[in-house]
Amino acid sequence: MSGSFVGICLLGIGYMALLFLCALAVERGWISTRIVRHPIIYTLALGVYASAWATYGSLEFASQSGYGYLAYYLGIAGAFLLAPVLLLPIQRMTRTYQLSSLADLFAFRYRSRWVGALITVVSLLAVWPLLSLQIQTLGEAIGRLSDNRYPALLALAFCAMIALFAIIFGASHTRLHARHDTVIATIALESLIKLAAMLMLGAIALFGIFDGPMELQSWLESDGLSHQTGVTALDAGQWRTLLLLFFAAAFLMPHMFHITFAETLSRRALLNAGWSLPLYLLLMALPIPLILWGAQRAGANPEALGSAYLGFGLNSSVWVEALVFLAGLAAASGTLIILSLALSGMILNHLVLIAHPPSHQPDLDRWLLWLRRGLIATVIFGGWLFYRTIGIHHDLTSLGLTSFVGMAQCLPGILALLYWPGANRKGMVTGLITGVTIWLVGLGWPLVSHHSPIVIIPPGLEMLATEPTWYIVALTSLAANMLTFILVSLITPTSEGERAAAEACSVDAVIRPKRLPLLATNGEECKQFLAQALGREFADREVDRAMADLNLSDHENRPYALRRLRDRIQANLSGLMGPSVAQDIVDRYLPYRRDGQTATDDIHFVENRLEAYRSRLTGLARELDELRRYHRRTLDQLPIGVCAFGDDGELLMWNDALGKLSGIEGHRVVGAHRNSLPPPWCELLGSVLTDEHERLYKQPVDLPSGRRYLTLHRASLQGNDTGRGGSVILLEDHSELKWLEDELVHAARLASIGQLAAGVAHEIGNPITGISSLAQNLRYDTDDPAILETAEHIQQLTDRVSRIVDSLVGFSHGGRHKHALEVAPVTVHLVIDEAMHLIHLARSRQDVEYRNDCDADLCIEGNVQQLVQVFVNLLSNARDASPIGGCVMIDAQRDVHEAHITVTDDGPGIDTSVRDHLFEPFTTTKAAGEGTGLGLSLVYSIIAEHQGHIQAESPLPGQAHGTCIHMWLPLSEKDGDATHEPDSDR
Amino acid sequence: MYVYRIMLFLVFGGYLLSPMLMSGWATPGEAWYRPFLIWGILVALSFWLEQKRHLDER
Repeated sequence: MSGSFVGICLLGIGYMALLFLCALAVERGWISTRIVRHPIIYTLALGVYASAWATYGSLEFASQSGYGYLAYYLGIAGAFLLAPVLLLPIQRMTRTYQLSSLADLFAFRYRSRWVGALITVVSLLAVWPLLSLQIQTLGEAIGRLSDNRYPALLALAFCAMIALFAIIFGASHTRLHARHDTVIATIALESLIKLAAMLMLGAIALFGIFDGPMELQSWLESDGLSHQTGVTALDAGQWRTLLLLFFAAAFLMPHMFHITFAETLSRRALLNAGWSLPLYLLLMALPIPLILWGAQRAGANPEALGSAYLGFGLNSSVWVEALVFLAGLAAASGTLIILSLALSGMILNHLVLIAHPPSHQPDLDRWLLWLRRGLIATVIFGGWLFYRTIGIHHDLTSLGLTSFVGMAQCLPGILALLYWPGANRKGMVTGLITGVTIWLVGLGWPLVSHHSPIVIIPPGLEMLATEPTWYIVALTSLAANMLTFILVSLITPTSEGERAAAEACSVDAVIRPKRLPLLATNGEECKQFLAQALGREFADREVDRAMADLNLSDHENRPYALRRLRDRIQANLSGLMGPSVAQDIVDRYLPYRRDGQTATDDIHFVENRLEAYRSRLTGLARELDELRRYHRRTLDQLPIGVCAFGDDGELLMWNDALGKLSGIEGHRVVGAHRNSLPPPWCELLGSVLTDEHERLYKQPVDLPSGRRYLTLHRASLQGNDTGRGGSVILLEDHSELKWLEDELVHAARLASIGQLAAGVAHEIGNPITGISSLAQNLRYDTDDPAILETAEHIQQLTDRVSRIVDSLVGFSHGGRHKHALEVAPVTVHLVIDEAMHLIHLARSRQDVEYRNDCDADLCIEGNVQQLVQVFVNLLSNARDASPIGGCVMIDAQRDVHEAHITVTDDGPGIDTSVRDHLFEPFTTTKAAGEGTGLGLSLVYSIIAEHQGHIQAESPLPGQAHGTCIHMWLPLSEKDGDATHEPDSDR
Repeated sequence: MYVYRIMLFLVFGGYLLSPMLMSGWATPGEAWYRPFLIWGILVALSFWLEQKRHLDER
């Protein structure tokens, strides 16, 4: 060997320095986040799977079993091709419940902290040979390059550097379920380096040793045949078993689980890995036979080198040796970093925290952090010890297969977790213990003790006796594991909690979260309760973090929101200290209030989740969801208010119309208890819910928009087999109807008075006519100028009384409904005078001056009484709006074929919001009780009936106040040459 | 969902038929790169299916 001790040290240190530099560059932001979070980086990080087994172990395996080595790559490729149906459901669960390891997932599904501990122990036992394999290849490679000078110590030194890297960049904070860009980017760099090194070695073999693919092919068919005599192809059964083992390793191996699920990567990135990871592995696998055949052609001695290290025999160049070493170092260091991070988290959450619960730790964060760092160092050092004491006596294939068969014992458990809700804890534990026991005595024990394996061959399968041990153990352990699991699950009962967790984990989950109020009634109380377990500062931070995640305010007190807060706190604590401890803490310190009521389905939560998962629904489920959305839209957009309450008084629905009426948006109140609704809704809805009658008519409610009259209808939702009961309430706004009724009553009263006035006027008319006649007679009976003057005065006064009486009678006839409008030429000036006269009779606001500037000849076509009604309404409005001493001006001009009449006042003007609806019924600017809002609506109708139109202008041009009502009415044919008395129909 | 079914079919079909890959190691008349060629085709197919699935979900 031409390598030197110093050279190998420099190469190793240089490589580790590169890793630290890359990590630092990512951490300091010298590399753009866009690059760091690119899907290619994620795929390369998943390349951590290609451990030292891929660079050295595969060579050894290929030299023994030919293409059998491909099982290592094709198994995981198959798992990632099935990412949408296999890996995505696991990713969904780990994200939702903040599960960061296989032990977390099992503890969550099988609802037991002991299950988590068991999976951790099994993982440790199974993974240690793989951990040792990484360090062993490092030690062996160092030994070959440094002429066997201190390989163990150098390997330990490399382990120390790798541990330091993992501690500094992988355990910088306590949360396990978070994206560590630094680690991901560094592992991606390592994957790139090992891929480049392997491809270069393959190219050296193909083009340096052979003269290209054709020459290789001809060598294989001639001289190469003699070199392949030791190759024994795997039979179909062994091959399929290997595929299954490596398929399972893709998501069971702690480092793969950590990269795939604990690092919070996007769904899209995982789906992309479905094709990009198999491509990466293809490129990693391609150079293996080239290197093997190249070394054989170059005359490398597999006995002396070891078939795993045949790459060193390609040629004696320093660069080739450096490439082989670098490929192995990159593969081993990446696996060691991620394995140590994953295992330290599992040991911490499922062994240490279970044995020593974290209650009453003064600085919990710091305690957890240092504990994890210590565990990282322990795991790597433990791997080195395993290598020195046990691994060194075994080849890579034995170590690797022992590890993969061991981890595969968790396969039945995880498949049941996804696809068999009927599986239970007892079945899983007994199955796992059975499988692990067979694995331990068949593969584990011979590894440790150098004794012959104890292989159990079931009766009837004696033909397996000649097969390799790993194959028999893999088959028997997995078969026993699965059979025991299924049998025990079928004959033992499953707890309620486990059933709920099974539903949450199942791919076809029908999740029905229950609705119960918490004992804590707001965020502050949550902090107080949690502080008993976690300390005040830690509890404050966790609750604040959960509230920020959910966008909840500090004053939040809705039961629905508090339940979501509890779930989020549990998920966050799960990411920190594992699901078992998190569940214990939350169950104990944030309990539900169970005052005799049964839990019902949390409809609102279910609906929100359906909305979130909508894009994933297909077929019938999608059709049903479309139907649900249609019904939901129908209810939301109903033009009357709808709200629904559960049996427990929790508000489940608040539609858009009710939101508009109340000024309270649905998302602010849905999930609240009816007693905590803002006034007046709490009392109003409470009264209809508790009232024995199902209807409350025209209840007066004071809202920001003014007093409204609401009619409430209640219907009970009969609880069917799903137990979803409650009440639905319809709220109709009957304010306008109520005002119209009031107005009708008022109008009826006025009509009675009008009839009375008409009767009185008629009665008065007769004596007045008599007085007028007598006064006229008096003029003929005397020549006394004084008496004649008195008679003249009497006649004038009786005329005036007659005019007043005629006006009253005429006005009382004006409002009557007529089938067809009777029109005649009308002099505008006289009509306005008549209206002014009537206004004066009211004897209110005598301080306002009226000025009739209309042209005396201007004549329009219309009904006198209705036009008088129009001007009475307009003038009285103008009078009410005018200030003290104000002036109302009426003007009329000819405008082609129309008369343009204006009524202008110098009042404060009309608000813009009112102006747009001025001529609509019930629009008024007057104080409540002073105006009906019907006057201008009537004016509009009359003008429209006269083929005219009306507009309001406010404020006046060039002024900040004042209002001008413009009317355009058709001119009469007799305009300018005739006048018509306004009282023509008297 | 149809894309997923195709993927399931491919993977399980491949699992059952894959032992045939093993026969080519240094056998005269068999190109040494044949398994990698098949693997490459499988990768291209899964890339195409992934693009199709992505378009379907948009």
